[in-house]
Amino acid sequence: MALLGRTRNTLFSSRAARKFRRNRMAVASLAVILLYALLGGWLLIADAYATLTDRRGFDRAESVIGSLFTALTLDKVDARVGPLRVRGWLETPLAEDRARFVEYYLGKFERALRLKDSQDRAAAVRDLRFAERRVDMTPEELLPRVRAIRDQYESLNAVDDLDAPDARGARERLAGIESDIDSLFAPLSGVEKGLYDLRMSLGTDRQGRSIAARAIYSIKVALQVGFVVGFVSVLIGALLGAASGYFGGFLDQFIQWLFSTLSSVPDLVLLAVLAYAFTGSIFDDPSRPALSLVPVYIAMCMTFWIGPCRVIRGETLKLKELEYVQAAKAIGFSRFTILLRHVLPNTLHLMFINFSLLFIAAIKFEVVLSFLGLGVKAGPSWGRMIGEATQEVINGNFWQIGAATLLMFVLVLAFNILSDALQDAFDPKHV
Amino acid sequence: MTTPHPATPTPAGAPLLEVRHLVTRFPVRGGILNRVVGHVHAVSGVSFSVPRGEVLGVVGESGCGKSTLGKTILRLVEPTSGQVLFDGQDLTTLGHGAMMPIRRRMQMIFQDPYSSLNPRLTIRRMLREVVRFHDIVPAEQTDDYIIDLITRVGLRKDAADKFPHEFSGGQRQRIGIARALAVKPELLIADEPVSALDVSIQAQVLNLLMDLQKDLHLTVLFISHDLKVVEHFCDRVLVMYLGKVVEELPCDNLLDRARHPYTRALLAANPIDDPDERRPISVLKGDVPSPLRPPPGCPFIGRCPVAVDRCRNEMPPLVAAPTVNTLTARPATQSVACWVETPDARPNA
Repeated sequence: MALLGRTRNTLFSSRAARKFRRNRMAVASLAVILLYALLGGWLLIADAYATLTDRRGFDRAESVIGSLFTALTLDKVDARVGPLRVRGWLETPLAEDRARFVEYYLGKFERALRLKDSQDRAAAVRDLRFAERRVDMTPEELLPRVRAIRDQYESLNAVDDLDAPDARGARERLAGIESDIDSLFAPLSGVEKGLYDLRMSLGTDRQGRSIAARAIYSIKVALQVGFVVGFVSVLIGALLGAASGYFGGFLDQFIQWLFSTLSSVPDLVLLAVLAYAFTGSIFDDPSRPALSLVPVYIAMCMTFWIGPCRVIRGETLKLKELEYVQAAKAIGFSRFTILLRHVLPNTLHLMFINFSLLFIAAIKFEVVLSFLGLGVKAGPSWGRMIGEATQEVINGNFWQIGAATLLMFVLVLAFNILSDALQDAFDPKHV
Repeated sequence: MTTPHPATPTPAGAPLLEVRHLVTRFPVRGGILNRVVGHVHAVSGVSFSVPRGEVLGVVGESGCGKSTLGKTILRLVEPTSGQVLFDGQDLTTLGHGAMMPIRRRMQMIFQDPYSSLNPRLTIRRMLREVVRFHDIVPAEQTDDYIIDLITRVGLRKDAADKFPHEFSGGQRQRIGIARALAVKPELLIADEPVSALDVSIQAQVLNLLMDLQKDLHLTVLFISHDLKVVEHFCDRVLVMYLGKVVEELPCDNLLDRARHPYTRALLAANPIDDPDERRPISVLKGDVPSPLRPPPGCPFIGRCPVAVDRCRNEMPPLVAAPTVNTLTARPATQSVACWVETPDARPNA
């Protein structure tokens, strides 16, 4: 022993950590979760930064870092980036739809050019933006090109059905028109091109907003809900559970009555009531998306603390009979000191387990609530996306529902694999 | 090594601890309304006294109330009735604040070394908490005092910064002893301090306790189920059965001295250490009666080989008789509660 010196169990050298690292799935799931966490953290900081500096509008990013940093703020993911229901990756748009998209862009250009006052006209053309794309021409340069495209487009009107087999010529002309429109926009730099492609990669929803951006932004919302609900619920549950188990008597009876009563009310009914109670308050204001999450937090925390409370109450009942608690009593420590120094720290492992369970439960529940219209009221969320997409799937636009479901599925799966792997790693009986 | 404990003067005859008619009952709740449907009679009417510097053993089988007795004296468990006089002061009526200076003077060593140390605190932090709480030594001397305590119980200095899980059972028990001694107590209640340890370690820990008792002039209440250990360590022994004291006797040559059939049965259950010696084995039959409904007469009636009719309905009183401790050659008393031994005694009211 003296030769070896003192062996200390650190987090990375322990047997559990070695066992964890041997499990390839576990490491992969940890990497996925870290990626989500990084994205979520980045979005959170970017949003706070945007609010603080009021950096709104697409053209204010002076540097590459700045444009990356402010690419996915709330007002940008809520803004329209192009025509409605643009098809995304793996979806083939009908020629009819493509014609509709051309019509949308032409309409935008013509409306700007139609203005009487030359100053207004110049300003309107400068303000023509589709996400990162903008026009870098004067109205005088733009007008003849738009007219030429419009003439070509009108010739397509002679074709009854662009998707008919014999309309190949018309479809080729349509492709030409599309590339003409693309050439009107100023060329994008590498980063901006990447961002724009990402934004359009999964198409747009029925309000012309980027599906990819909204799905990614929802990661922040989900993690926020998971963290706040998990943390607050475990905190409340641990304190009430430990107090209930340790002090016993009337307090114990009261807390048990409280959680039995709360858990006998169906969650959804409780949430509907809460949603109703908050209608018209500042928490119901779509212009304050940060506050609009508060009712969701309150609603979930009201029932989610019951799980950790039960478990930690039971553990406290066990711990308070242990001899080190008795010894602390014999020394003369007050009951609060014993609770805080000797009982609560020894329930820490239960707090961690409960947090990881509630974290995922809260994310899933938020999706259900938002789908039902009781959850997130402002800003994107996976639940809202799925709720809005129910009609779209029938029309063949599967990315809105697909992106939201996929991102949620990967996160929940990774978390489940991780908690399984952690359980195996910490289980001394499992080799 | 410095002696942290002040030498306590021993006023002759004044007991440090006196217990009078102590009763501890635990309510048993049941039914849908969670009403009290009965009581577990853990300690029923125990009286004894311990002079300063004496080591009093308490023996009895599992569930006889000996641990509850120790915890009730320390007010870890609230007594139902009776008195606990510590240095003349009744502890049963004191509040939390008034108990504080007393708590410093009496400490406990626990049975299970695996659950008696908080797994999240290093030994140094645990001891520092105790020492600082009672302000045993000036703050700047705390570290030296802690190292002194650790070495005193036979551990190495570097044990201070380890966590409990890094120690063996015997080492943990030494840490438990160090914690109890940290406040410089006068009375030490040792609740089966060696029963969870290996036999070889038992001897080490017992010897440590004996040395400490002599060095620090401690008064010890030594709770055990092992008469051999008690005989080795104690001056006097109290035999308990189902919450009652059935015999109290000086710890010399117990085998000849024991008068109560239960004490004799306990002694007979000890393994014989001489392979050539033959002794009739008398194994007690039956079980301890339920402490929920203790019998009206002698609690030992169901298992007693010499019981008479009278034992069934009348509890025999504890009758004291003068005797001489053969080891110290000093006068002592021996009390026994048995109708067969003391047929002429007047029953308790």
